[in-house]
Amino acid sequence: MMEAEKKHMALAVCTGCGIGECIDTDKLVDAAGEAIQGINCIQHGSFCSVAGLAELNRMVAEKGVDRLAVAACSPRVKSMEFELDGVHVERINLREQVAWVMEPDHEDTQMCAEDQTRMVLAKLETIKENSPYIPDHLSSDILVVGGGIAGLTSALEGARAGYRVHLVERSDRLGGYAGRIYKMLPDSEQSATLKEPDLHEKVKEVEGHPGIEVYLESTIESISGEPGNFSVALKNRRVSELQVGAVVTATGWKPYNTEKLAPLGYGSPRVKTLEEFEQFVQEEHLPDRILFILCAGSRDEKHLSYCSSYCCAAALKQALYVREKNTNAEVYIVYRDIRTPGFQEEFYKMVQADDAIFMTKGVIETVSDTGDGVEVTVTESLLDDRVTIISDMVVLATGMVPNTTADLNLQYRLGKGLPEIEYDFSDSHFTCFPYETRRTGIFAAGTVRAPMDMEMSGEDGAGAMMKAIQTVECVKRGEAVHPRAGDMTWPELYMERCTDCKRCTEECPFGSYDETEKGTPLSNPARCRRCGICVGSCPERVIGFADFSINSVSAMIKAVNVPDEFEEKPRILVFVCENDAYPALDAAGVNRLKYSPFVRIIPVRCLGSINKVWISDALSHGYDGILQIGCKPGDDYQCHFIHGSELTEQRGENLQETLKTMMLEPERIRTRFVEITEHHEIQEMINDYVEEMELIGPNPFKSM
Amino acid sequence: MSESSSIQPNLAFKRELSRLSGSQLNQCMQCGNCSAVCSLAPAERPFPRKEMVWAGWGLKDKLIGNVDIWLCHQCGDCSSYCPRDVKPADVLSAIRQKTYQHYARPRLLGKLVSNPAWLPVAIAIPVVVIIAILSLAGTFKIPEGPVDYSAFFPHGLLNGTFSSITLFFYLLASLGIGRFWKDMKRQTPPGETGMKRLPVFSVLGEILSHSNFSGCGSRKPGKAAHMLLFFGFALLITVTLYAIWATVSHHYPLPITNPFKILGNMASLMIYTGLGIMIWQRLFNRRVFGKSGYSDWLLLVSIGLLTLSGTLVQLARLGEWSVAYHLYFFHLVAVWFVIMYLPFTKLGHIFYRTTALLYARTIGRK
Amino acid sequence: MNLPTLIIGGGISGITAAVELAEAGGQVVLIEKENYLGGNVSRFNNYFPKLCPPACGLEINYQRIRSNPRISFYTGAEVKNIYGVDGDFRVKIHLKARLINNNCTSCGKCAEVCPEERPAKLGRTTGEKAAYINNGLAFPMKYCIDPDACAGEACGKCLEVCDYDAIQLDALSAEVVIQAGKVIVATGWILYDAAKIENYRYREEPDVVTNQEFERMLAACTREHKKLTRPSDGKVPARIAFIQCAGSRDMNHLPYCSAVCCSVSLKHALTLETEYPEIDSEIFYIDMRLSGRNEKLLKQAEGKERITLTKGKVGRILPPDGEKGVLLEVEDIISETKRQDAYDMVVLAMGLTPAPVAAELKVNEYGFYLPDQPSGMIPTASCKRPMDVSSSVKDATASALKAMRR
Repeated sequence: MMEAEKKHMALAVCTGCGIGECIDTDKLVDAAGEAIQGINCIQHGSFCSVAGLAELNRMVAEKGVDRLAVAACSPRVKSMEFELDGVHVERINLREQVAWVMEPDHEDTQMCAEDQTRMVLAKLETIKENSPYIPDHLSSDILVVGGGIAGLTSALEGARAGYRVHLVERSDRLGGYAGRIYKMLPDSEQSATLKEPDLHEKVKEVEGHPGIEVYLESTIESISGEPGNFSVALKNRRVSELQVGAVVTATGWKPYNTEKLAPLGYGSPRVKTLEEFEQFVQEEHLPDRILFILCAGSRDEKHLSYCSSYCCAAALKQALYVREKNTNAEVYIVYRDIRTPGFQEEFYKMVQADDAIFMTKGVIETVSDTGDGVEVTVTESLLDDRVTIISDMVVLATGMVPNTTADLNLQYRLGKGLPEIEYDFSDSHFTCFPYETRRTGIFAAGTVRAPMDMEMSGEDGAGAMMKAIQTVECVKRGEAVHPRAGDMTWPELYMERCTDCKRCTEECPFGSYDETEKGTPLSNPARCRRCGICVGSCPERVIGFADFSINSVSAMIKAVNVPDEFEEKPRILVFVCENDAYPALDAAGVNRLKYSPFVRIIPVRCLGSINKVWISDALSHGYDGILQIGCKPGDDYQCHFIHGSELTEQRGENLQETLKTMMLEPERIRTRFVEITEHHEIQEMINDYVEEMELIGPNPFKSM
Repeated sequence: MSESSSIQPNLAFKRELSRLSGSQLNQCMQCGNCSAVCSLAPAERPFPRKEMVWAGWGLKDKLIGNVDIWLCHQCGDCSSYCPRDVKPADVLSAIRQKTYQHYARPRLLGKLVSNPAWLPVAIAIPVVVIIAILSLAGTFKIPEGPVDYSAFFPHGLLNGTFSSITLFFYLLASLGIGRFWKDMKRQTPPGETGMKRLPVFSVLGEILSHSNFSGCGSRKPGKAAHMLLFFGFALLITVTLYAIWATVSHHYPLPITNPFKILGNMASLMIYTGLGIMIWQRLFNRRVFGKSGYSDWLLLVSIGLLTLSGTLVQLARLGEWSVAYHLYFFHLVAVWFVIMYLPFTKLGHIFYRTTALLYARTIGRK
Repeated sequence: MNLPTLIIGGGISGITAAVELAEAGGQVVLIEKENYLGGNVSRFNNYFPKLCPPACGLEINYQRIRSNPRISFYTGAEVKNIYGVDGDFRVKIHLKARLINNNCTSCGKCAEVCPEERPAKLGRTTGEKAAYINNGLAFPMKYCIDPDACAGEACGKCLEVCDYDAIQLDALSAEVVIQAGKVIVATGWILYDAAKIENYRYREEPDVVTNQEFERMLAACTREHKKLTRPSDGKVPARIAFIQCAGSRDMNHLPYCSAVCCSVSLKHALTLETEYPEIDSEIFYIDMRLSGRNEKLLKQAEGKERITLTKGKVGRILPPDGEKGVLLEVEDIISETKRQDAYDMVVLAMGLTPAPVAAELKVNEYGFYLPDQPSGMIPTASCKRPMDVSSSVKDATASALKAMRR
């Protein structure tokens, strides 16, 4: 590695917002001067003011400062103000995390402020020049897989925005499920007049668009590479190669396995599924009495636990088909709840305007073909406790099952398709980020992502295309995508020391690392989301970011002055995740919730990025305890790096062994989880832990 | 496991109810708001939500002979708060109408007064019968001299014929009422507490006090209107009975100052007022009443004409009008229409509701 | 030259459209009429189905805004009018007088000395001063002064303590004109007026609250670590009723379904079940409407002893029988019984309506924007139809792409 060039470091200490009243900033400046020889220091009553910023800029210009530590408020505020061209700025959070939460004018508070300052200065010293990663061969083309409504809309919207789209469809025609239906729901919900299918217009537009290349009867042999530079092997009659920047997969859904619907009479020629009926109605004469059973397989623990979302409206629509095709027909609908959200409610009402459509809530007990009709026994019906309805045909509103995404044939260590979150859907785990994918640059859209109707599938296709385009644009600029959008650092590997242990390839939640047959990691930085879990995973400590590395954190840990055991001033190292725990700490500051001045805080990209070596560094440096605070794990995890918090817990178990061999108490390492709004909890967490450590007593390695 | 009943959806009956009520009853979404706002619905198996789904499937067997539809006094709260505007009050009213027809024997009688096409026949019957009676008595001509209605229709003959015809019609009706009682018992069997003794007096108290009207929020003047009509009618009947006695004791016609005569005219005024309120509400409070049907108007108009013609007959006698006997004839037809057809028209509720209330209270349903 | 895209509305949808577009390389101007970004969701307690805090996603988005040079935003800004055509709109914007300027460091001294209090509103921290900040995670992190509560220069206490010249009690409003290539309208939703449902006695009974108010009450409890108490007498309620379809699916009010309220009430009940185990909840519904994976909220609730689900629309709310609280009248349809039961508190799951029109666009009869508009004008999310957060974000993302159309 290259020796870092000569640095011109500076420290700006703001005395505003109560910092000056709480801390002796002159002493702080002296301490900084002791730590770093020749550092330029400056103080001001408010650096964020026009005058303060002017003074700061003057100093930076005069002294040729290229690394600046601003000891003031949290980096979460006044962030624009302290962005100085050509200067690497680090913030020292003396306001929210010292002055507002600790006893003013107290030696412990002063020590804390000085330590936190030394830590950031030490970090500044280790920071390396960053050159953003941009793949060599960039492509802005987008691959769309699946020619149904989601895929078509996705392709069309992408092309309209000026991007070249490759649309791959397995069958010999575009349109998917939506292309086979008899009629569509009306545009205006206040009408019961169904619409002729208009998908062929969209198909025509796609086929005629110069920006869209359509590949029919084609499948994907493999996708390898990384965002901005995916290689796609396409199998038509022969295999051809495509280079694309991002992928949208919209391979749609299939009806729930009918074999499992025998209890609902499936198997009898008089019992059809919604899909079968969609065809039947176009080809055959309809009998006089048709009964629809809703939630056939959906909302049922024994079948599909979820609601398939499209079937209520689809069944109501088909009831209208029946009435249109056979004016003598009567339709019976047995439902559990009628789910017609939004303006669909009015469609529901309009369908009910036809009085030959009879509806009741009920639970299906039996469906039996009697030879000249179907007898359906319904319990808990509104009509009576237990009733039998006789009809000539039964239509089962079968549930929606997503198609697999494995046919993407991703050449990723973590599998060929997108991970399925729940019930086989490749959905996002996050309410606020419905396109948050675990395979960067590859987005699911439409019913392969979640149960939805046709209108929503189209919108979803457009949304996923937006994310695909955005990924390409971010990669072009060398930036990470959400959630660390704009981050231009990336994990660099010092391969000489790599032992092919595969930890990084196994633990990366995003499959950034491929590996050779030998197990040597092959990094795909454009797939990376910059969580740093690989930094934490590597026992050989060979992975690091320009501003976040084994060295930078070690230096921070060691920059703290640890008093000896007789002073009874414990030191607790607190690693906090930048996503939730850090803002929660800030909020504790805003609410002036006091906590112990014995803590020394190091923000990390994710708890998963904490390397074991930092723990042993801290323990041998004399810290009495290490508290790691991250996002909530579990089924409803809130960690945007999927299993960062969980990994930390697992690694914690291994660390216990280390503690045992060092003859240290297991309590000296503790992992806790908070939500961003839990500033009261985080205060308690810290104070409780400090108290516990005081009881246990000092770390015996302190004076060694 | 409970017995499974086979459901026979009856589209024709459903459409008939829909037509009679003017309600898009199929658009009911079974939210239960109607039962919740109803001030008369009992705690167990309240109405009219369940009746609405039965109506939606045309389940005639569950609706005719249903005791609950008679507990409803059509105050209209359910309709005014209905989120789907399916007018449960009018649907129940339509079911009641179908009930009069269902129990009418001969069936023709039911049809006669429920179908506008049969109206000419319904009118023709009293006209022909009265003409026949008068022709047989030989008085079918306009008498000379001062107006004396007994010269046209002798009192004895009038009392005799009209009473026996009424009795005959009511006998027919009582057969229907009997079957109605049986049907109610089958559909709503007495619970564990069984049947109590007929609570005649308490039901009479309920009817007289109009207590069932008091909880209503949507049709505040409804109670007053019904009371005016009810007591107006009751008074008129009392006056008529006195008048019959007077014809027998030969001091008829009564002088205008006779207390009964005054009472009679007061009763007429009460009926006019009550009718006025009812007609005004039907015309201008559509949200609660929806579209009023033939049976509603037939009832209101026939009562109106009966009372009006009665008043005019009295004025014609005092004023020696030349059209006095024509008016008298018209009045007699109107009397027939209201009194004799009573069990088969909407006015039949006097019998059916009373019966249903008696049954309901007997099995403790309140 | 490509003009920026103007995004009207700084709620979750507007923020999403802004960051998605800017990260794809577009220039964005985001305007928000309130003093803080975040809109409705910034005052939510949690999201379904994970019952996680909205602040978590907002914080990430605020970070995306902070670090993206292509986004600029105005708060306290409202659209006056829009003229021009696709590719070249001019939008006149009214900037409310902000009595605290950008010098504010959020040190909080103004609030410390401020003697005036904002009128207590449900979900608003009691004792909130005229100089206030939304909460510890507000964005932008600046105090502001409620002009309706402030006593003005006559008081001037905040002026004395502010070290940063941040307070300008005589500040004037201003107008700016922004040139924009496309306009995304993300003005969101407001609740239907609960007072219009007369038989629910919202105006008369303090213990009848809307679900939005309830949400904010819960959020305040989470924030301030306190117990949930009912408005009338400050007692901890033992039994809370949730009334679904309050206004929605009702010809007398909103004929459409508001799509989110079932999930919201289940979320509330499940939150009570875990965080406030002393409170029982009962949800009265017509149809339980949950789509897709959200079905599990229903499954979870069905398994809880302290949550009751009752099919039946509440007919009316009656005044309490002596004690505080209220009486409900409802038919329990499954057991076919009519009940008149007392509850300590009632939460009305109110219908959603579109926020007041911000631009002259084509609307349907309820005031929601139609999807098809004059070229270059792009309505998005819950001002188009009632939808949940996840769908709104999805739609906002799709709208960002529409703004990239050439």
